[in-house]
Amino acid sequence: MNSSIFKLIQNVSAVSKSSAILSSQFHTSPALCRVVSGKYRITKKRDKPLTYEMANPPHYIAHRKTWNSWNTSSLKDGLRRPETALEDEFIRRFMNGTWHGLVCSEIIIKRQFNHIRVAAIIRRAVSPTKMYFLLGYSEELMANWLHCPVTLELQTVDSFKDVVFKYI
Amino acid sequence: MNLVKQLWRVSPTVRSAFITNVYPVRQLSAVTINPLKPIQPLPPSNTEELDKLYKRVELEMRGIDPAVLLSYSWFCIAAASHLGIEVTKSWTLRKAEKERHTLLRCVHIYKKHRVQYEIRTYFRFIHIQRLTGSTCDTYLEYIERNLPEGCALKVTKIECQPLPDHITPPKEEQ
Repeated sequence: MNSSIFKLIQNVSAVSKSSAILSSQFHTSPALCRVVSGKYRITKKRDKPLTYEMANPPHYIAHRKTWNSWNTSSLKDGLRRPETALEDEFIRRFMNGTWHGLVCSEIIIKRQFNHIRVAAIIRRAVSPTKMYFLLGYSEELMANWLHCPVTLELQTVDSFKDVVFKYI
Repeated sequence: MNLVKQLWRVSPTVRSAFITNVYPVRQLSAVTINPLKPIQPLPPSNTEELDKLYKRVELEMRGIDPAVLLSYSWFCIAAASHLGIEVTKSWTLRKAEKERHTLLRCVHIYKKHRVQYEIRTYFRFIHIQRLTGSTCDTYLEYIERNLPEGCALKVTKIECQPLPDHITPPKEEQ
């Protein structure tokens, strides 16, 4: 029974390859068995920009991508798992809000002992004075709330186009 | 930029040069001078503290990424060779320890469709032989300061101690 279904699918897929319209409306697996998280749909005009992180779906983590937050809470006998996760989420939301519309990449959080290092790529849409103010402001306030020394390691980029990997 | 920030925080004179107060502060009250005292030598101690001797020091490294662990162990071995420390073994387990969770795929019903997640912990071991206490402390301080993020280090020290006086070998009956 399984082999006959397989042959049927092979025949139908061979037919669908010939016409592009049919292939987009054809299901090759049951609806609940496929993974949809972290994947972007192709647009008709092919003008949606994707960064390298967005272009590689989650099954490429540890192969083409690495993690965004580096800490020892997820290891065997690791401590403070939920607190670390919550702090990471807080840092990400805070960064996205403070540098609103300026962050061009994922925010990477590294913890070494007590020290939290936050890294991101920022685009140069604001004057340097404002950037320095935002840097000091976020470092001070995050250190105050998280009770740890926090350093921001930012890299600036001219515009979002410098970070785009492909257009989908 | 950090240099400027530090200068701003540390020296009040730099700050006063930039900020013009309405009521200026007197210069003498702003600066305090501590007179230098000559260094007095410590009195000689009666009992000399002997350095501890370690038969073996075992480093166990745990991490998420095996490549990071490999690079860190290479760094540890290089540091040991520079300090003249004997490294006997450095090995890793073939596979990582995995913690698996099988959860429901959907928020509501669909019990037959699940999602499986796993969290991996990779291990790496280094054994070091024949250290003195001060060498061990220096080496471990250096190693621990350069521990990469996402890696954990567990140190086990096995010390050699002389037999205490109240334990004597049995006297052979003549």
